[in-house]
Amino acid sequence: MTSSALGDAIRDLDRASSTSELVQATRTLCALKDPEAAETLVKVLGFNNPAVAAVATQGLIQLGRDIVPTLLVSMDARNYGARAWVVKALAALRDPRGLDLLEHALMADIAPSVRRSATRGLADLELDPVIKDQQLHRCMQGLLKSGQDDEWVVRYAAVFGLEQRLRSPHVGSSIADQAVLMLRTLASEAEDARVVRLRAALALQRLHLE
Amino acid sequence: MIEPLSESQVIENLRQTEDPSAQYYAAWWLGKMRSRHPDAIPLLLTTLKALDDTPVDPDRRGVALNAIRSLGLLQDERADSDLRDLLTSSDYSVREEAARSLGTMGSHAAAATIRSLLASGVDGAGSEQPSTPLLREPCEALLEALGEIGISDTATLATLEPFTQHPRPLIRAAACRALLQLTGDARWGEQLIQLLEHPEPLVRRGALLDLGATGWTEALTTMSAAAVEPSLKLVALRGLAEKSGDPQVLDVMDALL
Repeated sequence: MTSSALGDAIRDLDRASSTSELVQATRTLCALKDPEAAETLVKVLGFNNPAVAAVATQGLIQLGRDIVPTLLVSMDARNYGARAWVVKALAALRDPRGLDLLEHALMADIAPSVRRSATRGLADLELDPVIKDQQLHRCMQGLLKSGQDDEWVVRYAAVFGLEQRLRSPHVGSSIADQAVLMLRTLASEAEDARVVRLRAALALQRLHLE
Repeated sequence: MIEPLSESQVIENLRQTEDPSAQYYAAWWLGKMRSRHPDAIPLLLTTLKALDDTPVDPDRRGVALNAIRSLGLLQDERADSDLRDLLTSSDYSVREEAARSLGTMGSHAAAATIRSLLASGVDGAGSEQPSTPLLREPCEALLEALGEIGISDTATLATLEPFTQHPRPLIRAAACRALLQLTGDARWGEQLIQLLEHPEPLVRRGALLDLGATGWTEALTTMSAAAVEPSLKLVALRGLAEKSGDPQVLDVMDALL
């Protein structure tokens, strides 16, 4: 029954020719809540149509962590726009298996919105209990790198992430010192964007580090 | 891997005249990087002289347009008088960029000329030029400049108000933005909020950025819920946060990351 509903939805999607038809077909596909739909939803991300991709991304996030392996494999696709949406979905799912990919997106991605999403993901990615300290260290390293990004919005996301992570008692003291130093720099006149200074000052205040 | 240019190289690229594309990039770079080099302002002002030639060389015109934008970003009083002269240029884009830069600089001395360009109202300055999408005057830039300059006298308000009835939604938005900045009167904010529901994405984006520029925090919840991509919402909310200093705006931004 489900598989035929899935087949129908995929066929409707293939036949859709306008944005509104594509959005409708994608909504139907998402509503099935069928993990088997993940591969098709990932394909939809590559249509270079933001309205449709936003619906598909929400659908993927609702499918939960079972689809993380599908998302990770899909990053082999060369489609640049699709990659941005996959990073968003992975960041929202907070699955520790996404760490490599978020780190990579942070280093290599041209689009500020992708680096922003990746930074946001590092802020509260859940950590694998077996290698928790090591993964936490990698998240901190990534956030420190984002704090030096050329784009204000990535630095803003870094401040948000450093504030979250500095609440954890497991952060190593040396990297925690670097993080506090970074927040102090971003709160100072050395930072161009006033909104980043405001946010960094707020983070220091909330962490009682003023 | 191409090495990034140093500031002194960029200055030399602007100084030379053999290679207009190097000048074009240099004129942009100095503004983008907020250069404080002592030669930056004099050299940028020199490029504006090309606009007096007949006919104007198209490459040198491009350099001059970038220079106008950079002079606005660099916020240096030495540029004020030359930029004001450009408000009466016969070139629409030159008038438009000059108005934007004078608005960014908050040039009080420019207000009277900007008002005079708009004085013929919606049916004059705001009417369409035959066979182009342009209006007779760059109304959006002129209206926004009056809001940024910040003189809220009767003459300015009387110039702005008719444009809140302009047939084009982006012109209405620019007028409402300026009036909200100058008067803080909520009715202009409410008219902008209505434009956030416009069927055209371009209008929704424009209205969102305009609301951000006003610092009117009563729009915060509506802005965060608008049907506009998160990247642009963050840009608009940055404006709201910086103008208002209200920490609630930062919480809303956090949720959009």
